Amino acid sequence: MAVYKRAYRSYSGPITDERWRFLVLTRYSLTQLFSSRAFSWFMMATVLPVLISAAYIYISNSVTAQLALRMGNQSLLVVDGAFFSKVLISQAWMALFLTCWAGPLLVAGDLSNGALPLYLSRPLNRAEYVAGKAAVLVGILSCVTWIPGLLLFGLQTSLAGASWGWQHISFLAAILLASFIWIAVLTLISLATSAWVKWRIVATAVTFGLFVLPPGFGEAINGVMRTSWGRVLNLPYLLEVVLSNMLGVPVQTHGPFSNEPIPMAAAWVVLIGVCFASLEMLNKRLRAREVVRG
Amino acid sequence: MTATIELDDLQVQLGGRTILDGLRGALNGRAIGLLGPNGAGKSTLINTLLGFHQPARGTARVLGMDIRQEARKLRGLVGYMPESDAFISDMTGLHFVRYMAEISGLPSEQAMERAHEAFFYVGLGEVRYRKLGTYSLGMKQLAKLAQAIAHGPKLLIMDEPTNGLDPPARQRMIQLVREIRDASDMRLIISSHLLRDVEETCEEVLILRNGRVAALCNLEEERRANRKFLELETIGANGQFSSALQQLGCECAVFNNGRMKVVMPDKIEIREVYRIAEQQGIQIRKMNHRRDSLEDIFLNAMEQTGAAHGGL
Repeated sequence: MAVYKRAYRSYSGPITDERWRFLVLTRYSLTQLFSSRAFSWFMMATVLPVLISAAYIYISNSVTAQLALRMGNQSLLVVDGAFFSKVLISQAWMALFLTCWAGPLLVAGDLSNGALPLYLSRPLNRAEYVAGKAAVLVGILSCVTWIPGLLLFGLQTSLAGASWGWQHISFLAAILLASFIWIAVLTLISLATSAWVKWRIVATAVTFGLFVLPPGFGEAINGVMRTSWGRVLNLPYLLEVVLSNMLGVPVQTHGPFSNEPIPMAAAWVVLIGVCFASLEMLNKRLRAREVVRG
Repeated sequence: MTATIELDDLQVQLGGRTILDGLRGALNGRAIGLLGPNGAGKSTLINTLLGFHQPARGTARVLGMDIRQEARKLRGLVGYMPESDAFISDMTGLHFVRYMAEISGLPSEQAMERAHEAFFYVGLGEVRYRKLGTYSLGMKQLAKLAQAIAHGPKLLIMDEPTNGLDPPARQRMIQLVREIRDASDMRLIISSHLLRDVEETCEEVLILRNGRVAALCNLEEERRANRKFLELETIGANGQFSSALQQLGCECAVFNNGRMKVVMPDKIEIREVYRIAEQQGIQIRKMNHRRDSLEDIFLNAMEQTGAAHGGL
């Protein structure tokens, strides 16, 4: 574009709708994320387990394919709650890796460069700022959790017949609810740790650490106290509890100590509690100006 | 014309301390300077006007809008250039300014066009595709100015705009501020502890000290009055000497160690001062004859509030 105007002139053109302006943050953040080729490749790699699962569903429903693959015992290939549980748990880990990569890029950069006053001196409040940034993670994580989950469910229904779909309609609620709570947990924890740590690499490490270190501590508690409640510190396990209960499959046992699973209600309470705690952390940290007390 | 800033018993407390206390006054000028020593409350006042801090008592109106009730609407009309570093280092300058303009409400295409214009306007046209992290301090200041004006605000708030700039860059910044002031209907609030910056760009000045209004004056009127000052260093000057000068029609301010400032009416000659000194046996060891300046107003305000609050 040729630019010749070098004198200041005021602006009297159109203005965008304030209600959706937070999506500008989302758009720019997505552009920034996908400008990294490595991230784009990784995003594509997260679809691989879904493609394998789709192939599994196809083979389990296709006698021709089974014959071609010389598979004798058809009953080994079953698409049921356990199948969807395994797929969603593997995708939940993919979502965690994606969050560790993308989350700290969203907020830590703004805070470490002091850009927050520039955002908040405009017609944009803190909630909209968080919404704009969170929408990035929600969008990306949806692409690896509930959207592939629903697609796989749809594929199975189309191959096995509508009756299968109606029989297992509760799977839809499980896929959606478990994905939504996991996305909320990942998004809020990632934004909160980024807001507090500010340094992107450390924020990545802290975010990942929050999902892998407390489970070890929890198992230590289990060992000392002869209980299984230490597993409330294990967020991936809590997701598994929610998912397994909703899909009607037994919760897999973890750790060398008590095998008694955490009740689903307790898992929900902890996961929702983590979301609220992260929101409170964000609320404390995301301010245009920090106030030193004393 | 709507007042640019109206302060109505504004009090702000941060971290349990009162930072701004009972600020009152109205400033109508198109370019307003906020002056005061470090820690006087200039930046806190700006942050409060932008809605970053909530007043503990009272309120303020900017362009007629209450900062408590119409903060969002107000922020839509404001361009803000913060004092400290504020940018996104891995964005190009152009991308950054366009982004900020879009958040201010400009559609994407217009934001792009305005970002180009703003960059050329502040003199960074040639480096607009470079990442902000590679800019020098002076360039970052100009980029901050570009993002503050790209969306065409009605009010531009600049917090220490010449901080860290070398003399040519400072001169360039002052020149830009003057151009913006003269070439548009935009109003300006410039916070600075540099008297020269404010004197060269502003029409009205609000001087803060210890979170209170130390002085509020219209520089244009002061300049028009163009009063003559005498700065005296004397030995033996007392209340009698200043009373005698006041009887002549002079205004006197007496400081420590025999220092005095005397505002001379046009009709009075300097020899009258010598005559009274001779009559009273007072030695005048030094005399400076000068015009009124912002420095005098500032120092006077500092002395007066210093005396009122028990000194520094």
